Amino acid sequence: MMIKQLFTTFRNGSSISEAVCCNLQVRFLHKSAPSMRDVVDRKEMLRSLPKPDEGTTGEKAEEMDLLMKDKLLLFPTKDTPNQLFNGIRFKDLPIFNIRSSPNNTIITLTNSKGIPELIRSCGVEGFKNARKGTNIAAQATAITIGTKAFNKGIKTVRVRVKGIGPGRMSSIKGLQMSGLQIVSITDNTPVSWNPPRPRKQRRL
Amino acid sequence: MRHVSFIARTVFVQNNDVEAACRVLNRILGREGILEQYRRTRYYEKPFQVRRRVNYERCKALYDEDMNRKIEFVLRKNRVDPFPGCS
Repeated sequence: MMIKQLFTTFRNGSSISEAVCCNLQVRFLHKSAPSMRDVVDRKEMLRSLPKPDEGTTGEKAEEMDLLMKDKLLLFPTKDTPNQLFNGIRFKDLPIFNIRSSPNNTIITLTNSKGIPELIRSCGVEGFKNARKGTNIAAQATAITIGTKAFNKGIKTVRVRVKGIGPGRMSSIKGLQMSGLQIVSITDNTPVSWNPPRPRKQRRL
Repeated sequence: MRHVSFIARTVFVQNNDVEAACRVLNRILGREGILEQYRRTRYYEKPFQVRRRVNYERCKALYDEDMNRKIEFVLRKNRVDPFPGCS
């Protein structure tokens, strides 16, 4: 309030003494340009922004450890490939490959050998530019391709995800919403501990 | 990092609860440091950044170890009834 008042005084061309008369605190106001800016520090601003959705919920959740301990059924064993799911062996189930990156999500349906049958991405779905890289776009894409697969007669699938991005979790949810039964989720993110030199860092 | 596909890094979905399975998977990847390594190797880390990070991690590990020991010491229980009046 007070600052606004002061600005109006300046704009009207009246002397500062008038302003000082009406409020003593005016003296502590700096008129220099940097202090007038909204953003003081870029790092601070970036910190205040919400973190981008990477589809990695539960990455740091400690309570998952306790849950995992008594759930041995969650993990595959050496008999898993021959286990039956809806009358199909696990190793013969069709695979949904999800490639999620910060800017797009690509979903491919392959048979158990890895031969592609259907492919769909957020770009094909009609989302363009920045909207491709959202969880909503990923979910819509997943529902479309999931329905197509369902109409082909595929009911039970396994899912393999690669990379981190907004579509990582939401596309799996979308596949389930289209009526498919998801048996397992596998992570296939390529990670190396001695990679070739990556590209240089982005300058923000 | 080459393992049998659909055996390694695989989680079964139980009771059609996809989200819980995802969270378990993410937690495992997070704890093993796979996601961290993936994020770090998106861009080149300059040697000075490596040095700083490694030094920081070292200091943090030392501090954590000492602090955990301290907490254990304060919370040690060597009594017949470890928490009298609490049962």
